[in-house]
Amino acid sequence: MPRVRVTASDARRGPRTATRGFALPGQTPDDAETVFSRGLVRTQLRLALGCVAAFLAVAATLAGVVFALPVLGDPVVFGVPASWLLHAYGFYPLMLVFALVYVRAAARNERRYRALADPEESA
Amino acid sequence: MNPVFDLAAVGLLVVVTAVLGFAGVRLSRTTSDFFVASRSVRSVWNASAISGEYLSAGTFLGLAGLVLLSGAEGFWFPIGYAAGYLLVLLFVAAPLRRSGAYTIPDFVEARLESRAARRVTSVVVLVIGWLYIVPQLHGAALALGVVAPVPPWAGAVLVAVLVAGIVAAGGMRAITAVQAFQYWLKLTALLVPAVFLLVALSGGGADVDPAAVFPAERGPAGADAYLTGSLLLALLLGTIGLPHVLVRFYTSPDGASARRTTVIVIVLVGAFYAVSSTMALIARVVAPDLAVPGLADTVVLALPSRVLPGVVGELLTALIVAGAFAAFLATSSGLVVSLAGVVSQDVFGGSVRSFRLSAVLCTAVPLAMALLTQPAGLVSSVGLVFVFAASTLSPVLLLGVWWRRLTARGAVAGMAVGAVACGAALLGARLVANAGPVGVLFAQPAAWTIPLTTAVLMVVSLADRGGIPFRADRYLARLHTPDTRPGRGAPDRAT
Repeated sequence: MPRVRVTASDARRGPRTATRGFALPGQTPDDAETVFSRGLVRTQLRLALGCVAAFLAVAATLAGVVFALPVLGDPVVFGVPASWLLHAYGFYPLMLVFALVYVRAAARNERRYRALADPEESA
Repeated sequence: MNPVFDLAAVGLLVVVTAVLGFAGVRLSRTTSDFFVASRSVRSVWNASAISGEYLSAGTFLGLAGLVLLSGAEGFWFPIGYAAGYLLVLLFVAAPLRRSGAYTIPDFVEARLESRAARRVTSVVVLVIGWLYIVPQLHGAALALGVVAPVPPWAGAVLVAVLVAGIVAAGGMRAITAVQAFQYWLKLTALLVPAVFLLVALSGGGADVDPAAVFPAERGPAGADAYLTGSLLLALLLGTIGLPHVLVRFYTSPDGASARRTTVIVIVLVGAFYAVSSTMALIARVVAPDLAVPGLADTVVLALPSRVLPGVVGELLTALIVAGAFAAFLATSSGLVVSLAGVVSQDVFGGSVRSFRLSAVLCTAVPLAMALLTQPAGLVSSVGLVFVFAASTLSPVLLLGVWWRRLTARGAVAGMAVGAVACGAALLGARLVANAGPVGVLFAQPAAWTIPLTTAVLMVVSLADRGGIPFRADRYLARLHTPDTRPGRGAPDRAT
């Protein structure tokens, strides 16, 4: 989708700044600002959906391994079959990894938005 | 088991809870303090409090019981509960903080500009909260009944009285201190016994047969695919719709700190579930004879004395008892805070006095429900609440945050259809007791109720062309654009 690339691109910074002069204080946001914030919403939604999809894919793979282990002659670790151990403990580190990746990416999207919407402040 | 130690542990917990609660009272003076602790609660502290109220009797006692009864498929519950927080982080944490609303009904009213949608949301919030408190009180009755010769209602009444008292006296600030403390108590109360048990078991020679204790047909691959998938869908999405989870994000200073807090919550909650799962594995080794419905939920309390007879085992049991009561107290009081906030603003004027009255009312109703019903499995009772939340509030919140075409009529229709579908499934599960294809659909309805609710929401909203809120674009922009100054609280504009 081309619109989003416009939002995230640094190349358009100059011209966009020029259009901000049309907004009057206290009135509805001008076109540029609406485009920026709609673009941000779309970027953030795409990021969140991407993270969910990736998490589900990785978690499903792990679940597949857990299901497959008993067939492959489950090695016993500390008296417990590996499939049980993996099921009990394996999923939590995954969630943390995806959470950290998301937080960094979401903050980056917001920094880009700020650079577009308020070039003077964030320069 | 030694009733003196156990009751002393519960007594000590009650004293510490009361002291922390009343220490908070001096700090909470204004209405804003009561509702959201004036939004000045730091990330780690706040994350401990969120985790403290999220970890309920369902996982503290119920997880080991379920794994003992039905095997590794029980592990899906904590996985779903923890992953629910990942979805909270991805979709709603920062936007809901920026909405500046106190409660879920506040958010719905501000977003959809409709009093009617607010009223319906309030009713749904109350139903979810009450359904969630009932298993906590059942757990309290069960635990107190195991450790001391008291009538079954005593534990439920004890917890209800404490919760209503603390919430009415101190509001949210007191509750934050109490719950942060209770998270660390709950973790300690399982971690220390788990370490002792593991050391004792590994020293005592491995005379267990892994194939008998962890049979493959009870293992991860033994679970039904539809049941597991439907359950996970409910647990993942249900967390977003829990009233006591979201009210906590309003206490973070800004959107970015709401996200940081949620990441810490994922760590804290995951750590607790890992320890809780360890107790479940130990339970299968040590206490296979307790794998009886009704008894299984008490297995965690029985473990220390089985492995370590004498004073050490009794002291560890007392620690677990204190942790279990912390679980009942924390979850119930978190729920009562959010319910009382809703009731006092919707029914009364929203003053401090009405908040206190509402807190008492919101505890009395679930107490009556708990005393009138028989406890079922703790984990599955809590799971049911997630199904209901995921089929009603979660779609409204998700679409409210991300979809500008959502309308008040759509939200009301979606919540109504979702609630009715869940109720029908619950009734159907009672009537159709067999495990046929229809019975399975009733037993785990989330896989069809959530899409149904979402479809109704979207279709009605799309048909309701004139109903798109006038300021929808502006409101969405406010939810998603970063707070004006990073790291500092943005001034709250019109709510």
